Amino acid sequence: MISMPPNERDLHAYIDHQLGEDDRRLVETFLASNPTVGAQVRAWQQDAQQLRAALGGALQQPANPALDPLRIRQRLKRRSRRHLASAAVLLIAVSIAGLSGWKAREMTLLNAAQPMGDAIQAYRLFAQQGMLPADYKVSEAGDMQGWLDRYFTQANRLPDLSHAGFSPVSGRLLSTEQGPAAMVVYEDRGGNKISFYVRPPGPRNFMLPRGSRTDGELQAEYWSGGGYNYAMVSPSDTQAARMLRQTVNF
Amino acid sequence: MNEIDEQLREIIPRLRRFAVSLTRNASSADDLVQSCLERALSSWSAKRPEGDLRAWLFAILYRQFLDAHRRSRRYARMLEFFTGRDDSEPSAERTVLAQSTLEAFDQLSTEQRALLLWVSVEGLSYKDVAEILDVPIGTVMSRLSRARQALRQLSDGEITRPSLRRLK
Repeated sequence: MISMPPNERDLHAYIDHQLGEDDRRLVETFLASNPTVGAQVRAWQQDAQQLRAALGGALQQPANPALDPLRIRQRLKRRSRRHLASAAVLLIAVSIAGLSGWKAREMTLLNAAQPMGDAIQAYRLFAQQGMLPADYKVSEAGDMQGWLDRYFTQANRLPDLSHAGFSPVSGRLLSTEQGPAAMVVYEDRGGNKISFYVRPPGPRNFMLPRGSRTDGELQAEYWSGGGYNYAMVSPSDTQAARMLRQTVNF
Repeated sequence: MNEIDEQLREIIPRLRRFAVSLTRNASSADDLVQSCLERALSSWSAKRPEGDLRAWLFAILYRQFLDAHRRSRRYARMLEFFTGRDDSEPSAERTVLAQSTLEAFDQLSTEQRALLLWVSVEGLSYKDVAEILDVPIGTVMSRLSRARQALRQLSDGEITRPSLRRLK
């Protein structure tokens, strides 16, 4: 039994039909003889009614077939068949650019079985498609290393590719399931692009031996050091790609 | 399984509505609903508690939204630190005085929007909401009370906040 006069919580419980029959009657009697409180309660009730009416339309939108439980089940089954349960998801938080992170997540669902697949994905997304503006652009030589050091203190130095005509031009921060990542894009005079990608090895501390992998038209050279994983990504069968392949230590 | 799917199909429009009220964007809302359903179906037998199925799904969706939101906020802060500036601008529509209850609702905080939708629109019990938010029922009631007052004040135009919260 609530005590009289009802406190504010009791009034809300009254509005939300969460009082027992006796309490409800008590409140009603009280409201009838206290017009000021009564008016406030009515205003809250009206707000709730208007909200219900205003949001009612949202229930009428046409069904989205992708959300049907049957489809979701099929997708889950397919995914577990592909052993994608532990897929690394590159979550690029792009809300600043106005693109939803969820959208990016869908575009970049990655297969964990491929080392540094996220580096390749990031290259496609940013270096090739130029999807989003860079977070950082070089204005003077040496800037880029300073930019990177602010976040990846123990990381390997940026490889010096100046002998091949490449210099770092822009940097981008990414967020992955393993933690923050960064990608630095190198360009030569011909506009050819190579990316340097660095991120933590993840909770299982998965370190990589020096290796190379081709994915479609791209090639990734990867290695670990200083507590991070790295990849250099470039289009395969180019002069630059051959140069990277032959580099043992970056 | 068919029975479960039928139950889900009935709730999906409600999940989508809730997701839109959180994300304010129909397509990211559907992405959120999709990932909520994936989570729900893959942990159905182990995690599904007794009680209101709606409340359980709302809870999953809400947590996923908060996680994603936090990640993007963290990224925004990181970016700000790097570049020394803040790229995001408060949306113009958010500074406009509320013309209707819906506009006022849109200006509330994430949790206040969720609370009002659960209680006033969906009619969930305080107990269900307390479980979703993992707080005592008394806390739900006082937060609800604040949310209602905020909605009322915004609808009345009593508060004209010059710079409202940014939507990251």
